[in-house]
Amino acid sequence: MIDFHTHPVLIREFTEKYPNYVRVAREVFNIGNNFQPLETFFLQMDAAGIEKAVLLPIACGRARKDPVSSNEQVAELCGMSDRFIGFASVDPMAPNAPKELESAIAQLGLKGLKLDAALQDFDLNDPAVFAVYEAAASLRIPVLIHTGMSWAPETPLERGQPLLLEKAIRRFPKLQFVLAHWGWPWVWDATALALKYPNVFLDTSCLYYDGPTEFFQFVFSKQIPTTLVERSLRNQVVFGSNYPRVEIKNMVKALKSLSLTEGCLEKIFSTNAERLLGMRQ
Amino acid sequence: MIIKIERVKVQSRKSEEAINITPRVDDIVEKSGVKNGVVNVMTCHTSSGLLVTEGIPCLEEDILTHFSRLFPEEEDYHHRRYLDFDGRMGFNADSHLKSILGGIQCMFPIENGKIVRGSRQTIYFMEYDGPLERVYLVQVLGE
Repeated sequence: MIDFHTHPVLIREFTEKYPNYVRVAREVFNIGNNFQPLETFFLQMDAAGIEKAVLLPIACGRARKDPVSSNEQVAELCGMSDRFIGFASVDPMAPNAPKELESAIAQLGLKGLKLDAALQDFDLNDPAVFAVYEAAASLRIPVLIHTGMSWAPETPLERGQPLLLEKAIRRFPKLQFVLAHWGWPWVWDATALALKYPNVFLDTSCLYYDGPTEFFQFVFSKQIPTTLVERSLRNQVVFGSNYPRVEIKNMVKALKSLSLTEGCLEKIFSTNAERLLGMRQ
Repeated sequence: MIIKIERVKVQSRKSEEAINITPRVDDIVEKSGVKNGVVNVMTCHTSSGLLVTEGIPCLEEDILTHFSRLFPEEEDYHHRRYLDFDGRMGFNADSHLKSILGGIQCMFPIENGKIVRGSRQTIYFMEYDGPLERVYLVQVLGE
């Protein structure tokens, strides 16, 4: 099982090594939990039955002074364990962004691109962003983009509207877009994009009120029917927890509480992510 | 009068776990130099606990099982909401309630440099929201 959406922002070993690491966690990412040894990350994965986790950095240095995890930090963690799969992030407004992405993939061994228009402060339809998509398409890597609401401060909701991505999705039909957080609260917008475009994937890392199981029961059975996931989107959904904002085990339990078949859960927890990451055809 | 305080880290490895910390507390007391006094032990967290009971696996299991029966994970808790000061959801009300029920501290007398406790009494650090690295305090007071 793969968790496609985690943030390495509370790693104790990094707090002394990287001077701004604590400030970024508290002020930019906005999380108040205690920093934990790396071992806790693995134990949290074990408790959830997760074998591998995708680590997501956010290159928000221009907008927030420092990145929320750098590509180098993610690569460093991936070097410590083959249970981690690292993504890269670049600032699309930087003139060398496409080159920087190519370097992160080639030199650091990272496997995908992460973008967050709200936290990184850019317009999703700026031509400069399309140059980064072009590079990602050439590299044949997936792009995971924050959609929906963000808990980070100073992040306007309008930057997370999933439909803002339609132009890029159409322009790059071979580039695989993963819409994080299922676009909540625009769940139907994100769902419609996935229904219409086969290069759109959705991750399950959405939790904005109530507990994980209650939230999933509402969103994935009352807001949209569970059958829609089972019958129409089973090949386009990946499991994501958003750890450490949520413990992975709780999100696994929430997903398993839905009336999805074992076959569908297998795709969401494993197969779809493996295909996106090039681990299988 | 001697007053010594030690912060001890413990790494829980499961969602819920009873961890026997008696040998560690005994060791801290014996090395403290206090011959006659008291020792206080306290967890520093509100979703873990500290309790004393007989040190056998069946009781460890019973405590965790029946605490979970009293405070099921899936219940109508007001705590299930976004906590802006933490930047995350609070959905571990059951862990907090177990901590309150089981308690967060214990105290034993010290006599002739050793803890005075009943032969069956075992000190447990109780994890209700793991796995996490946790901290408990051992404070020794006396002469």
